[in-house]
Amino acid sequence: MKIERCREWREALGAYALGHLGDEERMSLEAHLEGCPECRAEAESLVAVSRLLPQADPERFGPAPVPPPELGKRIAATIGAEQRSKRRQRRLRFGLGLSGAAAAAAAAVLAIFVLSSGDGSGPEQHVSFRSLPAGVKIAATLEPQAFGTEIHMYVKGVRSGTLCQVFMRGPGGEAVSAGTFRYRWGGDAAAVLSAALDLSRAKALVVHAGNRTFVAPLDNGKATLHTQPQEEEPT
Amino acid sequence: MASGALTRERDVREAYAAHASELYGFAVRSLADPGLAEEAVQETFLRAWRAGERFDPQIGSLRTWLFAILRNVVIDLGRARAARPTVADGGTEPSVEPFDEALLSWQIEEAMRRIGEQHRRVLVETYYRGRPYAEVAEELGVPEGTVKSRVYYGLRALRVVLEEMGYED
Repeated sequence: MKIERCREWREALGAYALGHLGDEERMSLEAHLEGCPECRAEAESLVAVSRLLPQADPERFGPAPVPPPELGKRIAATIGAEQRSKRRQRRLRFGLGLSGAAAAAAAAVLAIFVLSSGDGSGPEQHVSFRSLPAGVKIAATLEPQAFGTEIHMYVKGVRSGTLCQVFMRGPGGEAVSAGTFRYRWGGDAAAVLSAALDLSRAKALVVHAGNRTFVAPLDNGKATLHTQPQEEEPT
Repeated sequence: MASGALTRERDVREAYAAHASELYGFAVRSLADPGLAEEAVQETFLRAWRAGERFDPQIGSLRTWLFAILRNVVIDLGRARAARPTVADGGTEPSVEPFDEALLSWQIEEAMRRIGEQHRRVLVETYYRGRPYAEVAEELGVPEGTVKSRVYYGLRALRVVLEEMGYED
């Protein structure tokens, strides 16, 4: 009974919220609202909605413009390209590692593993130093360039703040500097170095890190794996 | 990394499928230039992708986050455009409405699009055009009481759609 009565009042609430009821109808509805909390709550909620209406432009109620289909493809392509270069960057970035104590303690016996890159993107070489002190990782990617060799260094697990000096050794055993960098905890910049020595002529990649020297002989073009005890004093 | 972060290409594709239409529709309304709107939407998804790890669904919905990014993009584009001489384009002035007001307007217009045609029609005729209920009823060939009840159900539908869209007052 009450529900049926409210239903009639309810259907007038829209016109009421918009201020469209005549005085008489409005007053009798308001009398009902006084005694009916449910209808009152509904009225308040619809008044709140009706207050938003002036913000809208009825000329714009037609179909919304649709994004052109190539927009999605373009975004996907850009993100895909960025994703690939991000992955590449990440490989070259310094990661977080273990404490430097491990680096200082262990023997500087290392092996290298040279791979010629198999993806056909260029003759870059990935050099990863094996048998390093526990928790330490050193790796590099070497790319031949017109000026010589571009070296992307990846170091992990040495003491934060450790100064790293990088050289390449030429055919006559001469050292060609590739520059220096410091490993930082949580550091996020790729160390990209360069040396004025053609990669094809380089015999070794040398890294002085703290009081250790790591030498990775390069056997260009061939995948090699060998272990070579190496203990040099840093210069 | 927060779960739900927008870090995979797939996340971006899904976000695009769910929200690109709305973002684009709003960008067109706000910038009054479809080409610029495309640029804005593309930039929005790229920025979202680059900052994907910072997205935290605990703090707010993806939609809200994307609109917040679009807001910055539109403001940046507006600045860039303000620096260029304006070319009259068929008499259409570029919108200079502040973003938040434009966003509110657009949300209500979008909600209006989503409610039923019958409901939208009576709201347009009675509210926006200010026509008497009896006249509208006659035009539609329905009793006046039906127009009144459609106004009621129309406002209710609008409320529901706005809630679904994440509108909060």
